[in-house]
Amino acid sequence: MDIQYIGEHLLPGKLGQFFVALAFGAALLSAIGYYFSTVRDREDDSWRKIARWAFRVHSLAVIGIGACLYFIIYNHYFEYHYAWAHSSTELPTHYIISCFWEGQEGSFLLWGFWQGVIGNILIWKARSWEDGVMTFVSLSQVFIASMLLGVEILGQRIGSSPFILLREAIQAPIFQRADYLTFITDGNGLNPLLQNYWMVIHPPTLFAGFATMVVPFAYALAGVWTRRYSEWVKPGLPWALASVMILGAGIIMGSFWAYEALSFGGFWAWDPVENASLLPWLLMIAAVHVLVVYKNTGHAYATALILSISGYILVLYASFLTRSGILGEASVHSFTDLGMSGQLVLYLLFFTALAAWLLVRHWKHFPITAKEEQTYSREFWLFIGTLVMVVSCFQILAFTSIPVWNALFGTDVAPPTDPISTYNKWQLPFAAVVAILSGLAQYLKYKRTDPKKFYAKLWKAFAVSIVLAAAFIYITEVYENLAYIFLVLTCTFMVVSNADILLSVFQGKTKLAGAAVAHIGFGIMLIGALVAASQSKVISINTQGFDYGEQMDAQSTRENILLIQGEPVQMGEYRVTYLSDSVAGPNTFFRVNYQRIDRKTGKVREEFDLYPYGQANEKMRSFLANPDTRHYLLHDIYTHVSLVPAKQEQHEDHPGHSEDEEYTNVFTRTLSLGDTVQATPAVIQVNGLKRDVDLKNISLNEGDIAVALDLEVRSGDKQYSAAPVFLIKNNAIFDIADKIDDLGLKFRFTKIIPEQDQFELVVMQKPVQMGGWIVMKAIMFPYINLLWGGSILMVIGFLLAIVRRAKEIKPSS
Amino acid sequence: MKRSHLIGIVLIAVAIGVIISTYADTSTYADFTRAAETGDEIHVVGTLAPDKPLIYDPIKDPNYFAFYMEDEKGVECKVVFNGTKPQDFERSEQIVLVGKMKGTEFHASKILMKCPSKYTEDQIEVQEFSAKANG
Repeated sequence: MDIQYIGEHLLPGKLGQFFVALAFGAALLSAIGYYFSTVRDREDDSWRKIARWAFRVHSLAVIGIGACLYFIIYNHYFEYHYAWAHSSTELPTHYIISCFWEGQEGSFLLWGFWQGVIGNILIWKARSWEDGVMTFVSLSQVFIASMLLGVEILGQRIGSSPFILLREAIQAPIFQRADYLTFITDGNGLNPLLQNYWMVIHPPTLFAGFATMVVPFAYALAGVWTRRYSEWVKPGLPWALASVMILGAGIIMGSFWAYEALSFGGFWAWDPVENASLLPWLLMIAAVHVLVVYKNTGHAYATALILSISGYILVLYASFLTRSGILGEASVHSFTDLGMSGQLVLYLLFFTALAAWLLVRHWKHFPITAKEEQTYSREFWLFIGTLVMVVSCFQILAFTSIPVWNALFGTDVAPPTDPISTYNKWQLPFAAVVAILSGLAQYLKYKRTDPKKFYAKLWKAFAVSIVLAAAFIYITEVYENLAYIFLVLTCTFMVVSNADILLSVFQGKTKLAGAAVAHIGFGIMLIGALVAASQSKVISINTQGFDYGEQMDAQSTRENILLIQGEPVQMGEYRVTYLSDSVAGPNTFFRVNYQRIDRKTGKVREEFDLYPYGQANEKMRSFLANPDTRHYLLHDIYTHVSLVPAKQEQHEDHPGHSEDEEYTNVFTRTLSLGDTVQATPAVIQVNGLKRDVDLKNISLNEGDIAVALDLEVRSGDKQYSAAPVFLIKNNAIFDIADKIDDLGLKFRFTKIIPEQDQFELVVMQKPVQMGGWIVMKAIMFPYINLLWGGSILMVIGFLLAIVRRAKEIKPSS
Repeated sequence: MKRSHLIGIVLIAVAIGVIISTYADTSTYADFTRAAETGDEIHVVGTLAPDKPLIYDPIKDPNYFAFYMEDEKGVECKVVFNGTKPQDFERSEQIVLVGKMKGTEFHASKILMKCPSKYTEDQIEVQEFSAKANG
């Protein structure tokens, strides 16, 4: 019997599902239309008209899917699995958009959206290239739309719909009830790590970059298909530049997010997911260089063609890696498997096979020159540089794919135990060679260069670089490692030689500006990354409370420091005090005060507060740490909490529970005057007895005795006093406790032993774990602004290059 | 010989180097017995030993965390990690350690743990903890 469920809003889901089907169908029609428009008579444009309209309908349908999904999440319709799994009622409105990319379906939608935007730009601008190029773009849209279908064909589920209902997605007895929705009042919420403003713009930028990669791919294949073997390079080049610019910006935003919001303490960790986005970028950078070579000299055709195609193939491979669940335990932040691995593999293999088939069929017609390049020519060294980048890409690919090899060959190989140093070992020399070549090539002309002039310029630039690099190495203290010195030197050379070119830009050769600025940016970025990563210092080295002894060698790994509330600790050149915590929304902020004190005068030269925070997810009893960073021009102080006391449940006072229960650590001492008692975090000293005791409302009669113990309690710099009272009234013994709330200490004066001049003191202590401390880690990153600044320069350089290359298309087509 | 052939040979040589080093640099999944025999840095997969204490007292030393793990063969071993106790460690379903044996203790430099996901019950989430900062 069908259950009539109460309170469900089925319309937006039905509408959304309709849009999904429409998007899929229209993309398919558009691909077919463009196919026939390409292979048929050029005079007849009826197929093109159909294809264009189909693509526009497809774009609107994609927007429709997004609108429906947004409507569902915004109105908290938790009868939908997507809304339930990725949002909650508490979620601030500006983060609703982030829900789109927490789930796989939403991120496919984002990808499809950008490819739709790009398709419309191509329809508008591509002119004679529209039919061929759009065939491939539409075909790609067919695959992406199929990922959202969520229909079963011949027992095989195709895609995963974002509009699936909760009761369809999860089997549970609750769904036997018609009113089940009244029990589902809230969703699981958005991953706190995604509730960060960088996470609002990083994924869209990254996906825009991925989406743009389809264009050079489509131009290259369309060129081969329509036998315009060399013409595609001109219009394809600005798109290739656009894809590296956007993807590059996306990757940098991701690493900035990792640095600002994640607590792994760095900006790049060679995580498989990071690598997956870097691979297409590296390859497309290589492609851009050989495209320029081919355009200027006619050399390197095959390389330019294959690389332009491979960028997109690697995007597909990357999406397979991150979405199929194959990375499993190898990566911290890949998506989980939605059972679409087969579909993703099909997507990848289809386009790889299509490209390979077209290439093989047309290979003999390719304009490949038999001539060799001159040694003193720009094209030769650009080509070498490109190949080095390809090898560097290959290394990252080989290591990142270890889980794939395991799956393919049934092996059980674990990734390197220290992936960062493994990758750095390989990538550092590659980067250095690329840096040298990019400087070198700027002094070479295409076709033939006069060696004398070349060497004259080269030595000058090299001399300047050595001086600058030496000064920089001295200041930043990177001289301990020969490889680092080498990289700084080569990158400085890259910056100097390209700055030299930039000077000539100001003398009128404005065309060269883009490449020069991008290269300078890249060089500065590499130097910044090297110095910030290699010279970063953990300043929270723990030296307290632990006898190092034989374990002295382990000191380097003891990177967390315990801060007890109100107790200053010297950490590097800073005196650090954990002052307080405050709760704002789901976040607990820990106010940590930093003071830099002049050693000679003892004056505070600088003081600031940092608020590293943590997000406690009460429903799931978990805690996520978010760092806070103090930015300076030349370095950053980065801190995050590693551990905080578990939040105490606020239990109300009720009978059967006395206040004393909170004091779990209780011990009794027999003392004489002047004795001290250790009670971490304080030292208690017995100063004396006081007879004039203020008993407030207790009146003393004849024969009654009231004595107070005068206790002095020191904790760090602070001093407290306490006076527990011993009382004999009407021949009965009482005692009045005294407590120091700051320290969680309570004292009872329970006995006097006159014969020995001794007293009995009961010290009651609240467990310190219950609050008042944090374990924190602090790292100093020097010159990290070079990394960010260099990246921004690089993006500007790409932008200038795009403008130049786009201008070059116009006259011919 | 043409120069392009020469370049091709050099490239192939580097590529072979990469492939060989891929295997040289990779680690293996093993158990405590293997770890004790070889003394190398390896991955050990296992689960938290039931009824054994987790030793962590941040007041005494915030960078000393010890626990007992049972590997896939059922061998139990004390594990020492020079760092803070990962949040939610008690709830881990599976633990992957990277480290080596020192005497009778396994010194872990990295702990990877699989927890039941915080967000949806039908998903598994992986978290990673490293004793050293990633520069």
